[in-house]
Amino acid sequence: MRLSLIVNGMEHELDVRPTARLIDVLRLDLGLTGVKEGCSEGECGACTVIVDDKAVNSCLVLAGQMRGKKVLTVEGLADDDGLDTLQRMFIEHGAVQCGFCTPGMLMSAKALLLADPHPSEEAIRLALAGNLCRCTGYATIVAAVRAASEQPAEAAPPPPATGRDGKAV
Amino acid sequence: MPRAELLTPSGLGELTAALQRTTSSSRLLAGGTDLVRSMRHDHWEPDLLIDLSGLRELVYVRLEGDRLRVGALTTFAELQTDPLVRRHARCLAEAAARVGSAQIRNVATVGGNIANASPCADGVTALVALGADVRTIDGGGRSTVRPLEQVLVGSGRTSLAPDEAITEVSFAALGSDRRTTFVKIGSRATVTVARLSMALIVKYDGVSGTVSEVRVALGAVGETAFRDARLEELLEGRAAHEESAHLFADGCTDAVRRAIPGRSSLPYKQRAAVGLAYDAWNALGLCDRCQPAWG
Amino acid sequence: MTKDLLYVGLTYPVHDAWQKVTGELVYGSDIQLPGMLYAKLLLSPIPHGMVTSIDSSAAEALPGVVKVFSHLNSPADVYCRARLTPEQELCPRDETLFSEHVRFVGDRVAAVVATSQAIAEAAMTLIDVEYEELPALFTPEEAQRRDDLPLHPGGNVFFEHEEECGRSAESRDAVVVSSTTTTPRIHHAALEPHVCVVQPHSTGGLTIWSTSQGVYGARTVVADLLGLDYHRVRVIKAPMGGSFGGKTEYILEPVTAFMAQKTRRPVKLLLDREECMIATMVRPATASTIRTACSPQGQLEDMEVATVLDAGAYASSTSDYAVHMCQKITKLYRVPHYHHRSRAVYTNTPVAGAARGWGAPEIVTALEIHMDNVAGELGIDPVDLRLMNLRHPFEVDQVTGMSLGDARVRECLERGAAAFDWSTRRGRAPGSGRFRRGVGVACGAHKNGMFGKFAEASNMTLKMNEDGTFELGASLHDPGCGIVTVMKVIVAEVLGVSPDLVAAGEADTSSTPFDYGTFGSRVTYVVGACAKATAEKLKEEIVTAAADLLHEPRERLTVERGEVHVQDDGQRGVAFRDIARLSQMRHSPAITASVTYYATSNPASYSVQFAEVEVDCATGLTAVTDFLAVGDVGQAINRGMVHAQFQGAVQMGIGYALYEHMDVDEAGRSGVDGFKNYHVVNAPDMPDIHVLLVEHSGDDGPFGAKSVGEIATVPTAAAVINAVNHALGTSLSDLPATPERVLAALHLEEVEGG
Repeated sequence: MRLSLIVNGMEHELDVRPTARLIDVLRLDLGLTGVKEGCSEGECGACTVIVDDKAVNSCLVLAGQMRGKKVLTVEGLADDDGLDTLQRMFIEHGAVQCGFCTPGMLMSAKALLLADPHPSEEAIRLALAGNLCRCTGYATIVAAVRAASEQPAEAAPPPPATGRDGKAV
Repeated sequence: MPRAELLTPSGLGELTAALQRTTSSSRLLAGGTDLVRSMRHDHWEPDLLIDLSGLRELVYVRLEGDRLRVGALTTFAELQTDPLVRRHARCLAEAAARVGSAQIRNVATVGGNIANASPCADGVTALVALGADVRTIDGGGRSTVRPLEQVLVGSGRTSLAPDEAITEVSFAALGSDRRTTFVKIGSRATVTVARLSMALIVKYDGVSGTVSEVRVALGAVGETAFRDARLEELLEGRAAHEESAHLFADGCTDAVRRAIPGRSSLPYKQRAAVGLAYDAWNALGLCDRCQPAWG
Repeated sequence: MTKDLLYVGLTYPVHDAWQKVTGELVYGSDIQLPGMLYAKLLLSPIPHGMVTSIDSSAAEALPGVVKVFSHLNSPADVYCRARLTPEQELCPRDETLFSEHVRFVGDRVAAVVATSQAIAEAAMTLIDVEYEELPALFTPEEAQRRDDLPLHPGGNVFFEHEEECGRSAESRDAVVVSSTTTTPRIHHAALEPHVCVVQPHSTGGLTIWSTSQGVYGARTVVADLLGLDYHRVRVIKAPMGGSFGGKTEYILEPVTAFMAQKTRRPVKLLLDREECMIATMVRPATASTIRTACSPQGQLEDMEVATVLDAGAYASSTSDYAVHMCQKITKLYRVPHYHHRSRAVYTNTPVAGAARGWGAPEIVTALEIHMDNVAGELGIDPVDLRLMNLRHPFEVDQVTGMSLGDARVRECLERGAAAFDWSTRRGRAPGSGRFRRGVGVACGAHKNGMFGKFAEASNMTLKMNEDGTFELGASLHDPGCGIVTVMKVIVAEVLGVSPDLVAAGEADTSSTPFDYGTFGSRVTYVVGACAKATAEKLKEEIVTAAADLLHEPRERLTVERGEVHVQDDGQRGVAFRDIARLSQMRHSPAITASVTYYATSNPASYSVQFAEVEVDCATGLTAVTDFLAVGDVGQAINRGMVHAQFQGAVQMGIGYALYEHMDVDEAGRSGVDGFKNYHVVNAPDMPDIHVLLVEHSGDDGPFGAKSVGEIATVPTAAAVINAVNHALGTSLSDLPATPERVLAALHLEEVEGG
């Protein structure tokens, strides 16, 4: 099945199995292995990507459902100016340990900040409720998201996902 | 290897054409959160998949007269924040907020929740209490409406024909004299499948301080969510005070006992039903943090 | 904390944090090799039986299927997945690559190797296996009763251990308390599923990407099984998404290596979550009965303990676990007479093995729930009872005969009780309404390495590059908690240079020197001490080179912040960078140091933890509302990460106390098959975890550092359960305290209380 997919600002023409999940296409066809598969049932959130500004489990949707939508993965968070504020705060606050949950955490947090630039701690925890971490106890992750939300607005909102000459944004 | 075909209709016309090609092994794909997992988990593929996500015309919440109409592809994230739903069917907004995680709510739809027919579906429990009707369309282009209870046949089973797609749910919008809530007990606070859920709607008379026109739906006890007439009658005309809460809690325990006699989960659920009843009663604002009798 | 430390004790990200936040890091599960095949396991659907026939013709006919493996075309040799070194004791060899005699739901029956994951999965469903079922034994009680039904030759009780020391001081007016605590079978639930990738070489050798915690051990197990010389097998530690002990043992390496060898193609075996849950490894379920006698004032006089471990279908490391469960209590308390018997029993359930804490969380949970029962019986505050009996620094653990070192458990308890405001909070009535609050405390002890058991040592090479940067050659196995960073900081501290100037990587049997790996709480204490000794030796080499360059005697030279100075001559000195460049021409082509460091001590690490809970008496749901973890860590190397270790460990311990369990049903199937029904504590349910570090640095670890990662989770569950019991006036001792159990206990209390 032919499929046109916009990922990290790049348009891709692909030939995929009709039942291919978004995660399969991202990881296998596009080599975006920052998208992690932890449970295949939408419970761990490691595969979270942003579709049209909303956090989505890429293991629970088919690639074919993404027609005309803009998909952002962790690989698309940083730009030429460097890391996204969230990425920097994750590093600075020790929110990264084994790191397998990190891409999904970042994308859930990013979606939250897109909708609510200054969330309460409760809102942060609720937004991350579908992202499991077994290393940190979440304290450093929540602190990193809070810190990112308190940064000056230079990093958010991001440029449109299709912008800048097709460069990943 | 078997190869499913994926159809992606972008309008109702294309949808009916697609529905004509369905067999009993075909599936409709709304948000996909249950179906995609199931295909992966159980290693199977339908012969035909109809992806409904292109049907943007089925994403809406509208107030028409006294009826609230919700497009089948409206997501729980949308229901959770929709001003009309919050005003006229708060139990549905509250149920939507308790569905899965943010990621799930962003794609899971109200139509999919019904078609999936899980006994634990939060949205369905609220819709049963609301007395929702379900509109469908079939391969012949016929649009029909029937009560939600007639669609839900059992756990994971519906009366939907293979070529029938849900297009809308609708119900009488609740007026400002109604108080309503959705409460649930899972195995943790968030992102949890309901072990017991309840949607409660009452008409509250501020002058007499009594409740009437009570509607109670229980979820996660038995095959499908259901309204319990005995429980509703129990509350009818009662004063909105602590004593009624006790009565209600006892009634809930009794209802659970009647719903799942002999089930291994009964001892827990019949006790937990007390907590659920108080949560609901308190959430209606009819009583200031009522507590069970031993409290 | 020593005042003049430059880098030790500050906070650093894990070494590969940048690659992790960008998605750039290639984990084991991300590895793709040209021509790589994908394997899918067929797991036994029955708990016990014999495979009578396997028809794989339909699977083999599927285009893309390369080979189907089973016991019919694989060696029947037995091996032990937990073996670290060839001559290791307590490693029963009872597992084969594929089972003809299946012993649990999840046992490996067959595997398909195909050109894609999807084909392998589809083909797996086409394999037709017939079984002759045998009666299954799901609990150690049943398994001990049914001598007539041994799961393995030699019987179901395959290991027993006993420790006894001292003489009973039991007095005539002693207060005797007995209690039994059961701890559940749980899963490590590392976020990355188990994976192994193996590339065969035309020379007959193999390269294995292993997400395990010890590449050298993996090599011996695989090479011995496949009949290969060790130098032909290269094992590389791939980045892994968490382990917590669940990837310590060699679960997938043998079978993946075998399939790669036979197909002569690279093979990747990546499990899905359900396979991880049922078919890898679990923390053993245990039951411990403790009887103590103590004086009416609360002084322990005698302790008798009996522990039964459910090993599951294969022995793995459960024998060693059984030994270690007998070696924790006396690290914590003075017990005049201590007698502990433990036994490991086979059952038709998932395989138990290594798990964070290696028996300590299990036995300490039983012990600390018991201590609260004793306190209740005597009417003494739980903190006071513990203070009366806890160990003092430098006492000898009579079970191991080793010094406990600078053991600061008492200080942990005293400072923690003050910080938590224990007396006030414990004194508050829990309330009699629907929501009741309680507080609980528990102490825990663990070890620092394997001294006393193995030739506990590590070795490393450190070299200075031509530009004055450094590279550490060490077999590091970082499960994700920051081990590489710890080593960099230690080296940097010794040399007085920024950790950024020190490169360190992970283990590769072809290029990094021998090390056992990451377990036994040995990494900071032993491996870290090796890094320090190696850096110190290199520093000497640098001074020697500088002396040569400066024409000064070594005695006149000092090293400071990346330079060698001549004492009393502020003008004269030479930077590391110049030493490296100049010495290559004049002194020596390479400034390197290699050290084998031998541990000579194994002190105890301690943690004391305080929990506050709120129990909903109507639903039985418990919320942990406040938590303090105090750690006797010697010296924090990476301070932020030490705090984070406690926070994560407490999260795991709360799950152990309240949520996590893997019971099997009457058909032997696990009641859980994924995170939907196996709840890992998520963000909204986690309270703030306050961490208080007690730092005394009186032991032999680098800069006084002791182990953290395992001890941090040891007392958590007991603290939570003790808080629940305080809130409810119950004596729950079966973990986890699920809502069902809480309500049942509550109603029992009410009935009994009249």
